[in-house]
Amino acid sequence: MSKQVFNKTNIFIALQYLFARKKQSFLAAIGVLLGVTTFIVMINFMTGVNDFLDDAVFNGSPDIIVSAKSKKQSTTTSNILFNYIENSNKIDDVLKVDDNVQSFAYQIISPAILISDSKQFPGSINGVFPTQESKMVDLERRLIKGEGFQSLLKENSILLGVSLAKRLQVSAGDQIKMILPNGKNTTLKVTGIFSFGITTIDNVRTYVSASTLQNLLDQKNSITNIHVKLKDRDDIRLKSYLTDNIDGIATEDWKDSNKTIVIGNKVRDILTWSVSFALLLVAGFGIYNILNITVIQKRKDIAVLKTIGYSSNDIIFIFLVQSIIIGVLGAVFGSFFGYLISYLISTTPLDTSDFIIVDTYPINFKMSYYVLGFFFGVLTTIFAGYFPSRKASKVDPVTIIRGI
Amino acid sequence: MILEAQHVDKYFFEPEKHKVLRDISLSISEGELVSIYGESGSGKSTLLYILSTLDTDFEGNLSIHDQNIKNLTSSALTYFRNKHIGFVYQFHYLLPEFNVLQNVMLPAMKLSQKSNKEIKNDAMSLLDEVGMKDFAKRPSYQLSGGQQQRVAIARALINNPSLIVADEPTGNLDQKNSELIFELLKKITESRNKTVVIATHNPKIYHNSHRSIEMIDGSIRL
Repeated sequence: MSKQVFNKTNIFIALQYLFARKKQSFLAAIGVLLGVTTFIVMINFMTGVNDFLDDAVFNGSPDIIVSAKSKKQSTTTSNILFNYIENSNKIDDVLKVDDNVQSFAYQIISPAILISDSKQFPGSINGVFPTQESKMVDLERRLIKGEGFQSLLKENSILLGVSLAKRLQVSAGDQIKMILPNGKNTTLKVTGIFSFGITTIDNVRTYVSASTLQNLLDQKNSITNIHVKLKDRDDIRLKSYLTDNIDGIATEDWKDSNKTIVIGNKVRDILTWSVSFALLLVAGFGIYNILNITVIQKRKDIAVLKTIGYSSNDIIFIFLVQSIIIGVLGAVFGSFFGYLISYLISTTPLDTSDFIIVDTYPINFKMSYYVLGFFFGVLTTIFAGYFPSRKASKVDPVTIIRGI
Repeated sequence: MILEAQHVDKYFFEPEKHKVLRDISLSISEGELVSIYGESGSGKSTLLYILSTLDTDFEGNLSIHDQNIKNLTSSALTYFRNKHIGFVYQFHYLLPEFNVLQNVMLPAMKLSQKSNKEIKNDAMSLLDEVGMKDFAKRPSYQLSGGQQQRVAIARALINNPSLIVADEPTGNLDQKNSELIFELLKKITESRNKTVVIATHNPKIYHNSHRSIEMIDGSIRL
């Protein structure tokens, strides 16, 4: 009886129609191609930028920073600029039992002037505990010269951000002098130079061992910050728990410290999805239009097909196959061109401003985006093709044959 | 009896309710060449569409091959039509995207009871029979009206149906081609023992048919 609509004959007829209108079919496929290409290029580029910034900023900085609440200016001269955390034991207890804490590290942070043979610049000196800190920041990956945190186990060593090192005109192995706000100074050996790719970090950040800084500041065992890295960055209940339960501390999470970047990511996401969607919609309308006109022009032929044994479902299939072929061709070549253009962009040298340091445009070649783009393209064409196909299947042969 | 119509009534609802066929009863047996004639608006085409199962919106009964048409679902009807009824229209209606041979093959490819190779052989011998073998590979739109109509007859025969229905098959042709087409239909009736029903204005056709039925105002004139 009525057999499956998916058969050689129906496909043969669909192909015949498709080839009879090569130019229109080609243009419709180009429409899908442009939609898919743009989608892939945009999403590769936008998520590339997002990932790059995430990686540079969020991995280079902690998810939650705990510091001491700023008190009224203390009178003792050595404490002019510093607020030391007093309840570190209590905080410790909370962090050790919280499930969402991946790791945490103590820091003592102080501004200082760094002086090389020829230059001098202000910097922010992070006194760290090397073993703890290496769990927080993957500095090995970001090293340009020298060694990472392990080199800080030797007293009087310093790691420099690449921009700062350049401005100071020093390299790994050189000596620089550091002057602290309390007037004390010391000579440090540069053991490593790192780059996070973001100038605001690379310009000022330095690492020394906490004990070096504590000794110079005369603050044995004092710390100014506790940095926390979370397992799930979006779950920041810990932050409010700490402020509510422990006196004298202030907390800041990654969203507070990187507002512009978080908003930027969001804006880029919205832009990517809406532009891609709009383009695919336009391509879909193109296919809809072409098939609709075909159906109107071909009403007689459809009527004949129906009288010689082709059912309504056969007719739907015949027209739907045409749009699916257009969609698949457009999506395949769209994915290909999307990859090609993304690849070209990824090899294009990027002349950056001071904000970001990167050689070429960051591109994310994630496979799932290609799959998504492909299915998006094909799905659009199926939708666009369905309505004209259904219209075709409703052609009544009697009216057509009588009508002319 | 290959075809039997009993008390068929048919209404049109546009522009207002109007009875176009009144109590039509009709039997046609195998090997008969029957023509239905009458003035425009007499209902002959309407009757033909009902007899060919294209139009199922009527009152009364119609059986073809002892099968009551009203009992068939629309997909079963499509299959039935494909297998048992061949069509020839006034305007030839070959599909321009396909060549002559493919046009003849299409109904059989749908029926798919034979391999494509067998269908091709059948189609070629039918084209030979209607004198169009040399045009097999031509695009169908390159043919003249008379040639297209011959191809349409070959297409109507490809599934070896018992009933051929022709709606004004010579309505759009000159006299010479009209005669040629009619002779062809007559030859098919006689040599293959097919039943052919023709709706026509052409006196040459209804005077030379086995049986002629005149329609007046929706009724058969007795």
